[in-house]
Amino acid sequence: MADQSENGIGDLRITRRSFIKGCTMAAAALGLSETMIPRLVSAATSPQRPPVVWLHFQECTGCTESLLRASHPDIGRLILDLISLDYHETVMAAAGYQAEENLKNTIEKYDGKYICVVEGAIPTKDGGVYCKIGGRTAMDILAEVAPRSAAVIAIGSCASFGGLQAAAPNPTGAVGVRDLVRGKPIINIPGCPPNPISFLGTVLHYLTWKKLPVTDNLGRPLFAYGRKIHDHCERRAHFDEGRFVEQFGDEGHRQGYCLYKVGCKGPATFSNCPAVRFNDVDQWPVSAGHGCCGCTEPGFWDSMTPFEQRLPEVEVPLGKGTVTSAESVGRTVMGITAGAIGIHAAAGVVRRLAKGTAKKDEIREE
Amino acid sequence: MSYEFEKYRAFGPLYRITHWVFAISCVILLFTGYYIYEPWFTTMLEKGVDDFTVANMRFFHFAAGYCFMGAVIARFYLWFFGNRQERITDALPVTKRNIKNFWGAILNYLYVKFHVPRLGHNALAGTTYLVTFLLSMVMIASGFYLLYPESVQVQAWGGAVFGSQQNARFVHFILMFYYIFFAMVHIYIAIWNDVMFGEGLVSAIISGSKFLHIKRPRVD
Repeated sequence: MADQSENGIGDLRITRRSFIKGCTMAAAALGLSETMIPRLVSAATSPQRPPVVWLHFQECTGCTESLLRASHPDIGRLILDLISLDYHETVMAAAGYQAEENLKNTIEKYDGKYICVVEGAIPTKDGGVYCKIGGRTAMDILAEVAPRSAAVIAIGSCASFGGLQAAAPNPTGAVGVRDLVRGKPIINIPGCPPNPISFLGTVLHYLTWKKLPVTDNLGRPLFAYGRKIHDHCERRAHFDEGRFVEQFGDEGHRQGYCLYKVGCKGPATFSNCPAVRFNDVDQWPVSAGHGCCGCTEPGFWDSMTPFEQRLPEVEVPLGKGTVTSAESVGRTVMGITAGAIGIHAAAGVVRRLAKGTAKKDEIREE
Repeated sequence: MSYEFEKYRAFGPLYRITHWVFAISCVILLFTGYYIYEPWFTTMLEKGVDDFTVANMRFFHFAAGYCFMGAVIARFYLWFFGNRQERITDALPVTKRNIKNFWGAILNYLYVKFHVPRLGHNALAGTTYLVTFLLSMVMIASGFYLLYPESVQVQAWGGAVFGSQQNARFVHFILMFYYIFFAMVHIYIAIWNDVMFGEGLVSAIISGSKFLHIKRPRVD
């Protein structure tokens, strides 16, 4: 593990050793044999690498931050080094008109050849006025840049599915790239933030084979999102044995038991988090003692909150708020049913008592 | 004086078998399913205990689920090829006879006007069973989507129908309460009918025979 001081904060050069290391990590994430590493390396050093335009819309820059500020600086540098980043508002030196000029030049010079990376959701309500860069709406910019690119990579849950911005009531009408761009290969790398390795693997795959990796039906690469978190979680054995954390800080929590009962969304979430982990320090939310929040799934937020409960809150029709848990709805239905049965049976008994003698006569007549 | 009854053949053997497969599998599915949602008894002992509580609960849930699905398929066959009492034509309140019977059944259950004997289920019950049958298909579909989440084929239709895994789980869970509701009402109404009219409705689903009061005119 390389630490900050080893590479030096100000030293932006990347050593060959760490370059090979990064390519190896990406190859491992892609599930490739070590014999493929030289191909990845030669693709990543090829002078014909496509330039990248990185668009920031409604987002917190957390995806970029997770790339740049990883404890292992090599991955961030490797990504920035191996792609020719022509436009990225956070890291580029140019500003204002110069920056917009860069974007324009790249689009014209590499028409149909550049990769468009989108970070953040795109607001669509009221003509998209809720996100403007250089006086233009995010919708306008995306409509200009994405159709002329070779491929679109949506990084983060916001760009993939709308993410946090699209949570109810979605005041800005935020949507993901897939809802707006048609006719271009789009790959989604959801997560809040996604693992840099998943992004690096996708980019290297594209550079090496000139095509995007195989995806599931939500456009997520299968090498990173092909398996449920629950199915390769280190706490899975506790789940199968029925050993659970009942509440945070209890004995089970101290023993490292399964977090299912305190709302872990691992059984509903697809990602490589338990295998790849974050920031090269072997950590991810579940190993830190909190359940998975399900950030890589569409409808993240609305369908995953409250984070400490198993199922989302139930919306009451006509906008009358929410019920705290799905279970309480079911219990109410059961209670009303039991009450109705009781009343119905009691009505029969009362009727029989009131008409007791009359009924016998009725029968006799027949 | 006493009632005079005549014994009639109402339900065929396959129909009765599907009923009991539904009954038993539903009890298992409800118990294990609720346990999977909220494992309320747990093993806190780490050493010497290899009982795989949750894994076993899931196994029984899946096994019972397949039995349930088998019964649903058999029931589907019977909707079209069963005897007169078992067919869809006896359940749907679209024919004049069934519409009349549908409202008659509601009045009957409200103690307003007692029913006219009918060999099959009344149209209200038949409609409820048809709705339950359709909801069972939703239950099976969401169950398969939850069981095989990593299959790309299952994802293709599961994602289109239910959205994310979490949404499918939500549908699967909320529908569970329909089955509890159904079981409560179904058992109550069956016993109520038996108490009120003495047609042997409860035993009819075991023996297949129902007793109809011969002096009262039958509609069918």
